Amino acid sequence: MAHSDIGSQLVNICSMLLLVTTFAIVSQRRLSACVDLFALQSVFLAVTAALVAFLTGIHHIYVAALLTIVIKAIIIPLILKRVIERLNVTRELVLNINIPASLLICGGLVILALSVTQPIKELGFLLTKDSLAISLAIILIGFFTMISRRKAVTQVVGFLVVENGIFLGATAAAYGMPLIVELGVFFDVLVAALIIGIFTHRLQDTFDSVDVSKLTGMKE
Amino acid sequence: MIESAVIQLLQAVVVLVVSPFVIGLIRKVKAWLQCRQGPVLLQPYYDLAKLFQKEVVASSSTSWIFTATPYILFSSTLTASLLVPTFLSQVPLNFAGDIITVVYLLALGTFFLMLAGLDAGSAFGGMGSSREAIVAALTEPAMILSIFAVGLTAGSTNLSTIVHKMALSHGIMSDPPPHLLALAALFIVTLAETGRVPVDNPATHLELTMIHEAMILEYSGRYLALIEWAAALKLLLFLTLLSNIFFPWGIATVMTPFGMAVGTGVWFLKVSGLAVLISLIESMFAKLRLFRITELLGVAFILSLLSLVFYYILRVQS
Amino acid sequence: MNFNLFSLIHGNFLIILVLYGAGMIIPFFFPRQPRFQNLIAHGAAIAASTAGVVLGVLGLFADSPPVFYSLSTLPLLSIQFRLDTLSSFFILVISLSGVPVSLYATGYVREFEGRYPMGVLGSLYNAFLLSMILVIMADNGFLFLILWEVMSLVSYFLVVTEHEKAESRYAGFFYFVMTHVGTAFIMICFLLFYQENGSFNFEAFRSSGLVMPQAIQALVFLTALVGFGTKAGIVPLHVWLPYAHPAAPSHVSALMSGVMIKTAIYGLIRVYFDFLGGQFPWWWGFTILVVGAVSALLGVMYALMEHDLKSLLAYHSVENIGIILLGIGAGMIFQSYGLSHLAALGLLAGLYHTINHAMFKGLLFLGAGSLLYSTHTRNMEEYGGLVRHMPWTAFFFLIGAVSISGLPPGNGFVSEWLIFQSLFLSFQIPDLLMKIFLPIGAAMLALTGALAMACFAKAFGISFLAMPRSHHAKQAVEVSLVMRIGMGIMAAYCVILGLATMWIIPLLDRVITPFTHISIAEKVISGRGWTIEPMGVTFASVSTPLLALVIVFLILATLLLSLLLGGWLRKRFYKTWGCGLNLKPRNEYTSTGFSQPIRQVFSTIYRPTVKLETEMMAESRYFAKRMRFELTFQPVFQKYLYDPVVRFFLAVADRFRVIQAGSLHLYLSYIFLTLVALLLWTTL
Repeated sequence: MAHSDIGSQLVNICSMLLLVTTFAIVSQRRLSACVDLFALQSVFLAVTAALVAFLTGIHHIYVAALLTIVIKAIIIPLILKRVIERLNVTRELVLNINIPASLLICGGLVILALSVTQPIKELGFLLTKDSLAISLAIILIGFFTMISRRKAVTQVVGFLVVENGIFLGATAAAYGMPLIVELGVFFDVLVAALIIGIFTHRLQDTFDSVDVSKLTGMKE
Repeated sequence: MIESAVIQLLQAVVVLVVSPFVIGLIRKVKAWLQCRQGPVLLQPYYDLAKLFQKEVVASSSTSWIFTATPYILFSSTLTASLLVPTFLSQVPLNFAGDIITVVYLLALGTFFLMLAGLDAGSAFGGMGSSREAIVAALTEPAMILSIFAVGLTAGSTNLSTIVHKMALSHGIMSDPPPHLLALAALFIVTLAETGRVPVDNPATHLELTMIHEAMILEYSGRYLALIEWAAALKLLLFLTLLSNIFFPWGIATVMTPFGMAVGTGVWFLKVSGLAVLISLIESMFAKLRLFRITELLGVAFILSLLSLVFYYILRVQS
Repeated sequence: MNFNLFSLIHGNFLIILVLYGAGMIIPFFFPRQPRFQNLIAHGAAIAASTAGVVLGVLGLFADSPPVFYSLSTLPLLSIQFRLDTLSSFFILVISLSGVPVSLYATGYVREFEGRYPMGVLGSLYNAFLLSMILVIMADNGFLFLILWEVMSLVSYFLVVTEHEKAESRYAGFFYFVMTHVGTAFIMICFLLFYQENGSFNFEAFRSSGLVMPQAIQALVFLTALVGFGTKAGIVPLHVWLPYAHPAAPSHVSALMSGVMIKTAIYGLIRVYFDFLGGQFPWWWGFTILVVGAVSALLGVMYALMEHDLKSLLAYHSVENIGIILLGIGAGMIFQSYGLSHLAALGLLAGLYHTINHAMFKGLLFLGAGSLLYSTHTRNMEEYGGLVRHMPWTAFFFLIGAVSISGLPPGNGFVSEWLIFQSLFLSFQIPDLLMKIFLPIGAAMLALTGALAMACFAKAFGISFLAMPRSHHAKQAVEVSLVMRIGMGIMAAYCVILGLATMWIIPLLDRVITPFTHISIAEKVISGRGWTIEPMGVTFASVSTPLLALVIVFLILATLLLSLLLGGWLRKRFYKTWGCGLNLKPRNEYTSTGFSQPIRQVFSTIYRPTVKLETEMMAESRYFAKRMRFELTFQPVFQKYLYDPVVRFFLAVADRFRVIQAGSLHLYLSYIFLTLVALLLWTTL
């Protein structure tokens, strides 16, 4: 059993790093740093997936890991970086909720996730079962990021963090989804990132700002 | 009994002797990183010797608090250092206080230092005390929580027990996720508590940025020497905590002369390594604005909270 | 029970009654001699408090609780007192602080001579002390409520001593309303017990508490929490406290803040651990814990923003009640999970902090009173440099400040350490959420402790250090000997409570053993008695006497070391460096300035509004002629909690004004109709 013990230990470390990068994103004001951290998180996610693939011998997870690297750690960050460069927004100056408070709220979300998944976990038998709580926490924090930030780019990052959380959850709960579903999801995410990128441009053109709270002005 | 007293005395001497060296090392490495020659490694010793010889110039508006503070600060910091395992995992004096006591003994020194800052009546001292107050306050929760997270593994807050158990279970490798997080949190706490960049800059005397230096601006002569030495002791104490809790490799777990000699050597290397790390950080990062320190310490708090959570996520199963 | 001991206790009790009674009545026989009235009243209080200390000690060692009876012709109300260990402990707390406070009062009330009727003041003071002791001993719900009300009323009169000041009247009114709201809730709580068994005797409460339906128990829990919590000053029911405590004369403030709010702690323990038998679901303890943590944190935060020394201390009472509740809450949580050893530890820690707080808060209020006496102001911004004019007061205040900040080897440190340990021990609870929330409580306690330290660095530093900031401070002189002795005794209590843990903990253990059914003193105090170790020495231990010894030894060693390294001290005095300017008191950091970083960091909580007006010189717009700085905080609780409630009641009252026509006939017909309706109802 030593092999699987070390295996689950490694999976745990990786999911810890995933959660820590999520918190790092919450604590960052600089947009490009947020994107970098997202890329880093995706790398950790890919490593987790690869580890699970290795430990379980389910080969299609390798494909998902590879796709994660290519799409989430390389292509999407590049797109977002270009958006940032083109729009010339580097910092999130106005926050809906200040950073220490956001961190505390996210800490609360982690505890919530932990307590909610507690009963499920006791039924679990997979070596990744500890990651379920973490994936839920990442999803919640991603959502929270989308709520608390005002710049469209950070909201995209929040959205992508949610997606990463879902991916981790799927890996944790069921050793990944069927390959075809995953391919579809990756495609969706890519398209979503592209669309939001374009949308951000339009926002900039129309309102001279990427502050999404300006959208409320459209209701008349 | 006598054996214990000798060991405690030995520990006091060792930390007193080594602490200025750590300051010197940090300065030297920083100088190298900035392509300077830098002062010799033993410069802090020369400084202390010189300061002890010098006449004291005290402000005429100060009271006995100002005079008493250096002694109280120095002895409370030294008392705290005596409780922390250094080269031997089982400190004879460990029953006098656990890690919470260590934290509060350091706070006692800080409290008097804040008073001394206010005593001279200059705006600098008040500014220093006021800033020290907020930094100390925000550091405390992160410190207690990370200590708890570490203490859980050993099922104790007794430092000797923690270090002893960690030493027997190979330190950080026994349960990496919570320990890594607690280590990160405690490292940030160390930077904040000992007044290093990015929280405070020990090398500055610029009004708007100094914290610790502002409080002790009025001190001179042997008072200053005691305060500087106490600051070095405090830094060494935190580095010892970090190295012996998380990397207890090589520490003597039984009381043998050979083991303790090895323990001292390994401890010295570990502490020096951490000191180099601190000088790297001081060279890489700029000092944060005062109100950004909140964010840094918020991160430390969250890391320690996560450490606690991870401890239980991993523990409740099976 | 030993008959001699009983008669001793009984006699003692009578002596206390007689002495306090004398202190209440005799002053009125000498209306023209205020000085004599003062001596009689406070002398009686000193004697009675000394007897109270004896009573408390005897009560702690009695094998079974003695009961004192008095026949009563009223139904439901039996005049019955009972002295169990819990009562004895609180009587000890009251009487121990009663002695030095009364001593101090003989000097302090000189200030009031000629301005206020000394007889009334002294009489009320005695009545106040007596009512607290009787409340603690009451063994009947009805009696308890009456005495509780007497205590509240007497303290109300003491709060409005300086009734010519509008702020005192406002404070008194505020206190009056709040305390009655609280009493109403306690009344509901007791009625719930009454409904179960048809008796107001506490003995009946005990038996009915165990058989109550759970929903009623929960209701009892909540009403007791609100009712006693109002007296204790838990957030958000604390709003009256920072008004009322400072308005009273300082020796009374010392008792109100140090002792009176403890009667509420007594009430809570009595109801939860005694009447309900210590059987409760986990959420009760958790609620107490959360209330405690929030009170502690907000209390100290608001204290930091005060520059009225007495209000600052009053807010610290909110903080310390929070800390006490953290201990008690942890104990209750442990109790729910059947960990009685730990429950006893948490409760013991809470009680230890209770007595500690009584002493250091009393000491600090007496210190603040001395400052008020000498400088005639409570505003810290007008103090400064007092350590030179009032060295004794400064020294005692410093002891109090170190103790309340929880710094070793003070007494505050011991109790906070015990609370930390009981929160840390949460890892033994099976429930995951509790395992995580209790350490978070510890983190909040750590933050509270550090902020308290900051607050007292401010309070002491701004008041006593640097240069005098006002004419008053320059003219201040040390207070009279009796006042210094009073403070000195209080300071000695603090030191003893910090160092003599080996004797205090067994006493506290006796107090809680009847409720937790377990004695932990032998486990907690190690063999030789020098250390406290909740779970054995390898778990955690602390020894304040040893720490004090080591620190003192090292201070001497440090002196020797500096002598060796630098020879005899050569010292020269020169003025403070001020960038070449001559420093004046106006250059000093103010209390507002000191707390500015904290204000900024926690601005979400304080919601400060800063108004800065600068008037420029006519010649140049770079030189300011005058600057005006105004800082206000949004009173969150008043605005979002109390104002809506008040508005609601006013609106309701407005509706009811219709029936108030001012016509006598109409009122008579109301009474008539009510009577008829009631008669009809009884026949139905």
